[in-house]
Amino acid sequence: MPVEIRPETFSLVHFDANEIRAIVEKLVVLIGLPAAASVTIEVDESTPLAHAVVTSTDPIVIAVESGAFEDPKVVRHLNAIAATDVLGKLLLSVKDRLDPAFGEAPADADLTLPEVAAWETYCVGRLGRLGHRVQRQRRLYQFRNRHGFTDAADAAFDALWTADGLTWADISAISNQATA
Amino acid sequence: MRKSFPVEDLARDERFVHVALADRINDPRNAQAADSGSSGRRGAGRLTPERPDAPDAARALMHGIFVGEIQALEGAGRTCWDFEVGSGNGEGIPEVPFELKLDMARQCWDEARHCEISIKLSGHMGTDLGEFSENTFLYEAACNPDPVLRLTGVNRALEGLAIDVFNTMREFGEIAGDPVLEFCEDWMLADEVTHVKMGSDWLRKLTADDKPRQERALEFQRVVDKLFSLGGFRGEEDDSPVRLARRFRELAGFKDDEMDTLAQIAKEAREEMEAIAEANRPAIAH
Repeated sequence: MPVEIRPETFSLVHFDANEIRAIVEKLVVLIGLPAAASVTIEVDESTPLAHAVVTSTDPIVIAVESGAFEDPKVVRHLNAIAATDVLGKLLLSVKDRLDPAFGEAPADADLTLPEVAAWETYCVGRLGRLGHRVQRQRRLYQFRNRHGFTDAADAAFDALWTADGLTWADISAISNQATA
Repeated sequence: MRKSFPVEDLARDERFVHVALADRINDPRNAQAADSGSSGRRGAGRLTPERPDAPDAARALMHGIFVGEIQALEGAGRTCWDFEVGSGNGEGIPEVPFELKLDMARQCWDEARHCEISIKLSGHMGTDLGEFSENTFLYEAACNPDPVLRLTGVNRALEGLAIDVFNTMREFGEIAGDPVLEFCEDWMLADEVTHVKMGSDWLRKLTADDKPRQERALEFQRVVDKLFSLGGFRGEEDDSPVRLARRFRELAGFKDDEMDTLAQIAKEAREEMEAIAEANRPAIAH
């Protein structure tokens, strides 16, 4: 699978493109994306902010601000767990979008904050079951911020966190019910 | 037991990693603060639930509060011990009135409680203790050998910052509908108002007849305030993540002109950060 990291050499952060590439290659296999899938990771090293977004699914292109991969304890250094967390979550969402059975989800820019939180919960829950270290309580807090600090929201979170094989309609319905 | 405990010897287990404030300030990526860069975003913006990254930003800020509470406890504890009882008028060896030590003992009690609240809140928000780095500037300000400067730097500047941060977090919890966060921040905010007022009261009392000492203390406060405005992190601009909490500062003994000065200091800190960014821009362009 062709994996490209842009830039190949970093000057403002101490990131190693080969380390990021190895994380992507491992995730693509683990998640079950097509072996021939082309993946490009564009890192904006000019900012410490941490936004990350899929800009294309074919070829797969992910744009990341450097803070998303940064070690929270070591300024400007890569943290493999954080990078795996961000990339794993996004690559799982790509896998969903490429699966015809998943259905037609709105474009990322059109998703509401509750929908984003719901889909991320579904993705990170699966990432955890693939063996990556995930922070369940952190994700629950994010979900509650978007769906309310209620028992109904917590039940919806559990439904998404433990699920496999959901469609976009399922995710959307669970999210809507939690906020109703 | 020795006096004036150095910051390097603070007790921390392996979970905690110290990052110098200078490393943050000198991060060349801070150019983003002035140059929107490829993403087109100027900065993180005001901390409200509407921000897409709000939950994680709140977690990181809460962890900063937690380590600040530890250092505030350590600093107030040192102030109880480091000075002899006396008039506190600045003559001879550093002395403080016994009542000042009582205030610091009460503050230790508050800070210990804040540590416990912060630990519980971190668990509520899904943060591991030590998940983020710690900068120790609060404790470093608490190492000043003059008790008046120490109280001015810590209680008026840094606890004043705590008022701004707690008020921001309290509002965040209120808007997000998080009763746990809102309740905890509200209670801690009330204590911070008391701590800042202690600093204001002791500054005026101990320097009533010593204007040069008072001016040195206020200058020290300005230095600390500027450092902790962190290039616009705290200020009155629309996109400042943490806003100046004027009403609560008023309750803590700040006068209007002092708050205007603080707003100006924050503005200058932001402009200086933008100047650094401007200087770094050629490096980013290449």
